[in-house]
Formats: sequence, structure tokens, C-alpha cells
Amino acid sequence: MTAKRILSTIALVVSAAGAASAQTATQTITFQIDAINQIAFSGSPSLVINTATAGSNPTGATAAATWAVTTNQTGAKITASIGSNMPAGLTLSVNVTAPAGATSAGSLALSTTAVDLVTSITKLAQGSMAVSYSLSATAAAGVVSSTTRTVTYTITGGT
Amino acid sequence: MAVSGNPGALHITTAVPGSQPTSVSNNATTYTVTTPNANKTYRITAQVNANMPVGVTLTATFAAPAGATSVGPVALDVTARNVVTGVPKSTNSTQSITYQLSGTAAAGVIASSTRMVTLTVITP
Repeated sequence: MTAKRILSTIALVVSAAGAASAQTATQTITFQIDAINQIAFSGSPSLVINTATAGSNPTGATAAATWAVTTNQTGAKITASIGSNMPAGLTLSVNVTAPAGATSAGSLALSTTAVDLVTSITKLAQGSMAVSYSLSATAAAGVVSSTTRTVTYTITGGT
Repeated sequence: MAVSGNPGALHITTAVPGSQPTSVSNNATTYTVTTPNANKTYRITAQVNANMPVGVTLTATFAAPAGATSVGPVALDVTARNVVTGVPKSTNSTQSITYQLSGTAAAGVIASSTRMVTLTVITP
């Protein structure tokens, strides 16, 4: 074997070693997404009744707020209740706008018993939706000094 | 090519109301790349063994060795994607890997699952 041939053979071996160094490595990634059901209601609306049309019950008052929801489940629902019932003759109602594909029950009176406001909420994230509160009173309710109620909204996950 | 191990589980558990579920990330692992002395540059690709579920994205960001360039965040799928390019010859460097998991609300609930990520050093 000539010197030239020996050098060629060595070069080939080195080149092959270089090609063999192209390598792979692997990692195993574990991932998971839990059931997520999150709501937020913004605003602390104030409702004042201070007038009436003569011959009618006092004129109701309204106030606006907004809400947002994220759920990754199917058929979630929103319920609401207040911590203590309204004084006799006063009714606090709320109307919560439904996100896309869901159903709003419309304006419902609030009490200590939870009511379904929005149902069939399915796999979405949506914000800036309207909430409308309304306060109505009969004349028989009389004068009611400033008072508060905390409305508790609950999202119940679907499946 | 070597890696320091497997990252901890990527686990999405919450969301800001009105927004998509909050993504999570893990930067606890590293890779070590060694390149031959041949007068070439090299690139690193990454791919997973099966596509992610619809609405779920696994993104990887590989820091680059000296003289190389990181592609930045790359969504992984079954196609080998460049994550680092221009790795010089005779490189022996350990760099960070950051994985991020994101999912839309529409993706729904995903039970614990795994994907194997394959990293490959090849010549351009």
C-alpha cells in the first residue's frame, strides 16, 4: 500500500467518525389540563329608588356591571344567591348575559336560595358581558335606609 | 447530544376569567451538544412522537451555544423543526431548554399524557 493510499484510508475513517457523531437524544414530556371553571364579576352597583308615577308603585332602579367566564368543560352553569333575603316589598333581580352558545334565564329575583342564571356554558373564554341589576319596591315596603346585599355567584362545572 | 433528564410535568390548572387557561412552563432541563471537528456548521431539530391534542400546544425554546442561533419558541409536532442553527464545529456546550404548555378552553380537560421529544444534531 502506497503512502498516498494509507492517507486516503485514514481520511475516510475520520470522516466516518464525524458522520457517526450526528446524534439524537430524547426527553419524555408529561402534561395535563385539569377542569377549569373561573368567573369574575366586576362593579359594586348602587340602586336607589326615589320617585314614583302618581298612582303607581315606586319607579324601579337599574344598575350595570360586567362579568367574565372561562370553562373548559361542557354544560357549566352560573347560579346566584344573596346572603339574606330582601326586606318585604323589595325585589332585587339580576339579568346575566349568556356567553356564546349558552342560555340566560333572563331577569331573576335573588334570595338566599340559589337560582340558575346561565346554563349550557361550554368550553369557552369570554369577558365583558353585561350584568343588569334591578331593584323594585311596592309602596307598602315603606322607606328603606341604605343597606347592602352580597351576591354570590357560583360556577358549577359540567362534564 | 445528551439531555439532563425529563422535565417535571406540565400541568395547567387555572385561568383568568375571560381568558384562555394559564400556560405553564418548565426550564429545569438542559441539553449538551458536541459537534465534530469537521469544517461544517450544524443544526438541532426537535420533534414529538405524536401530535399534541387539538387546542394544546407544546412549545420548546433552546438556548444557543456560542456562535449559534436559537430559533426561539417552536411549537412541536411530528415534523422535525429547527430549534438551534449555525452550531459551529468543535462545540461542546450545555444550554437550557424551556418547555411551555398552553391550551385553549376548547381543548377541554386533558388527562395526564406523555410525548417523547427527539432532539437531533445534523448538518444543514
